[in-house]
Amino acid sequence: MSLLTALAGFLTGIGVLAGPAMALSLNPDAGSAGVDKANTLHWILFVVIGIIIVVVNLAILRAARPRTRHTGPPATAKKGSQLKIGLGLGVVALAIFVTATVFSDQSRVVPVSTETVSGMTSDKQLEIEATGSQWLWRFNYPNGAFSYRRVVVPAGVTVAMKLVSTDVIHTWNVPSLTGKADAVPGKTNWVYFRADEEGTYTGRSAILSGQGYSTMSIEVSVVSPDQYEAYVKTQSEDIQEAQDIVEKRNQAAAEADEKISKESAKDETETSKTSGDGQT
Amino acid sequence: MSSYPTTMPPTRPEISNRPDSDPRARWTQIATSADHKSIASVLLVTAFGSLFLAALELLLVRIQLSVPENVFLNAVTFDRLLSVYGETAIFLFALPLCIGLFYYVVPLQIGSRGTALPRLGQIGMWLFLLGGIMLYAAFLFTPPEAGINPLPPLSELAFTPNNGVDVWISSAFMIVLGLLMISIDLLTTLHNLRAPGMAWRRAPIFTWAAAIVTWLMVVVAPIMLAALAMLMIDRRLGGAFFAGGSGGSPILWQHMSYIYFTAAYMTIAVTTLAAISEIVQSFTRRQLPGRDAVIGSLVAIAVIGTLAWTQNMITAPLPSGWKYFAMLASISLIVPFGLIFYNLISTISSSDFHMRAPLRYAMGALSLASIGLAVEISQSTIAVGTQLQHTYDAWAATHFALIGFAIFGGLAAVSYWYPKITGRMLNEERAKISFGVMFAGTLVALLPLFAAGVSGQVTDSYRFYAAEDVDIYNLIAVFGTLILFVGIVMAVGNLIKSRTEGAVATPDPWRGDSLEWLTLSPPVEHNFDVLPDVRSTQPMRDIRDALARRDAEAGAPADEPQPVA
Repeated sequence: MSLLTALAGFLTGIGVLAGPAMALSLNPDAGSAGVDKANTLHWILFVVIGIIIVVVNLAILRAARPRTRHTGPPATAKKGSQLKIGLGLGVVALAIFVTATVFSDQSRVVPVSTETVSGMTSDKQLEIEATGSQWLWRFNYPNGAFSYRRVVVPAGVTVAMKLVSTDVIHTWNVPSLTGKADAVPGKTNWVYFRADEEGTYTGRSAILSGQGYSTMSIEVSVVSPDQYEAYVKTQSEDIQEAQDIVEKRNQAAAEADEKISKESAKDETETSKTSGDGQT
Repeated sequence: MSSYPTTMPPTRPEISNRPDSDPRARWTQIATSADHKSIASVLLVTAFGSLFLAALELLLVRIQLSVPENVFLNAVTFDRLLSVYGETAIFLFALPLCIGLFYYVVPLQIGSRGTALPRLGQIGMWLFLLGGIMLYAAFLFTPPEAGINPLPPLSELAFTPNNGVDVWISSAFMIVLGLLMISIDLLTTLHNLRAPGMAWRRAPIFTWAAAIVTWLMVVVAPIMLAALAMLMIDRRLGGAFFAGGSGGSPILWQHMSYIYFTAAYMTIAVTTLAAISEIVQSFTRRQLPGRDAVIGSLVAIAVIGTLAWTQNMITAPLPSGWKYFAMLASISLIVPFGLIFYNLISTISSSDFHMRAPLRYAMGALSLASIGLAVEISQSTIAVGTQLQHTYDAWAATHFALIGFAIFGGLAAVSYWYPKITGRMLNEERAKISFGVMFAGTLVALLPLFAAGVSGQVTDSYRFYAAEDVDIYNLIAVFGTLILFVGIVMAVGNLIKSRTEGAVATPDPWRGDSLEWLTLSPPVEHNFDVLPDVRSTQPMRDIRDALARRDAEAGAPADEPQPVA
């Protein structure tokens, strides 16, 4: 039994120590100011939680220890009440500490842009609309360009991601840039982030949205502001070009339709004329 | 003769007369009985059967997630197993276990001969059973597939057009309604049928917990019933309560359902902490030094914990006031949980005791729940919550707390009252082995998932990808889940086998202080021949002392068939 409890204590200890270690890698340094500060707070919180778990479990192990039975009177109440006061103070200190941690929480502070690109709003943010549909994300850029699954954003610019959904609830989840936020049909939700380092950040939608849920990926490509400008320009031109082609084809098809319908109408009038003639 | 209470007749009060045996078949007795003990036994047996099913479903789910892009189950089968697992674990295992324990033990603890509204309890049991049967009958056609909590609009007809979600709604409705009816019966009993002298200040902690939980059910169950009815109207009668974009609000369902689910979580915590308090008091032969603090803490957990339901909605588009309130409420739960843990651990630590199955399970429950609660409380902060919600870190925290409370705490409570319920002692060796296997299994199954969740693995997805770099954690978790499953099979098997093989139990095997130990094991149908007069928080100790004094005065009577040990 003591071997088992020792083993359990050991495993628990490893799990608990893993917590703070993991917390360090919770938000790899993406340069987003809010995430950076949140990182430190996570770390502090995880250490506190780890200490709580270790202390409680050590106390349980101590209480469960095999011991020689004695027949004396049970422990006096005085000792118990001292411990109670100690615990009460500990709990109050802990509560104050955690509350202070929470109120100094800066993870939701919106970062400020250091670079400028075209299409920014008056408060220096780049507003991109992310629309979740079963099972992909569509991103609409300010200049009318759009892309699916992959969104290109400029480094050093605060992106205000407007989350909407056309069908069920989807969760925006790119853990190394921002926290999660739900795109709920009929509502608008926002996430803000500023990525300072170029690179690719990936994530997956995080709430069950049906059978294709596991394929609903998000890819954020952070590029330099110039590359971003070039990208949205090309994207917009490509889209315009494609739309022009489609438009032309539609027009051609419509013209052809019109021609055919005119001819058939002509035929019809002729036939009706002939038949009318026949009748008279 | 004057030293024991005058309302007690000069026979030994612990002797109850067994009525003539009922000539009807056993199943007829169970099906037609309105006796709280019979109904509660049905709930408890169903709960442990469902525990086996839930563990099996969890094992299948974990096997699918053992390697990246596994093809063991397809997306639909995975979603169905996950949905059924969630409902089985919450509605068919944890809640009936809590309500069943209360319904069996509490009328005995308050010295009542039955419940106040027995037919209400009976119809509640039948509704509950039919709800469970309906859920599993769905495997013959279409099981539900919209997730553990089927969030609209996904659970609206447009996105899940088959009957699966209808089954979920109907079975959940019947189970919630059934358990609500049993709660109302118990609540009425608690307020009206307490033994003479059993003031609230003298009521055992477990009785207090019963009052807390039944009141909580009366408040939250109608909200859940309304939500279920509204979703059904949406699906089948063209309603739009939760439809996005057409005047309805998907967020409304989240509020209504999470109130109930959060209350269910608190119910499980309050029930098992109260049961563990009773166990600790019996095994250490001491009253908890902070009895009033423990009761107050249980009330605080139930009220504050339930009010913090929006901590489940930390990613939803809500005004941040909701989120900050939930965060502060969750963090303030450190105080009541800490007080209870401190009281229990320090009492055990400073006392002599025999380590028996109930106490061992109880300490396992405290240990696992401490991990789950600590991580859960850290995740209720917004900064951490938005990162870790919907990941396996959150899943592991919830499972640590609920496996600790519901499985270990539940087994602690059931093994503590096992002699009373069955008249047999639980096999100690097998209980010890199953405890070890389950404890190791839980740690191996859940600790790696903390790491997987922090690396960003999201829940409810039927597969993960090699690029996510979480292979090893998922692989270890499969083995842990397998060990946990084996442990659960051993523990449930022990409960079944000890019923016939266990040593015959005396009425009061643990020398407990509350009144359920006064009656026979198993109790007679009318519970008590003589209703005792309660003078303190430890009525059974008073009775033992009074009997000892009387025997010392008169010389031990020779004709006692079953003296209390």
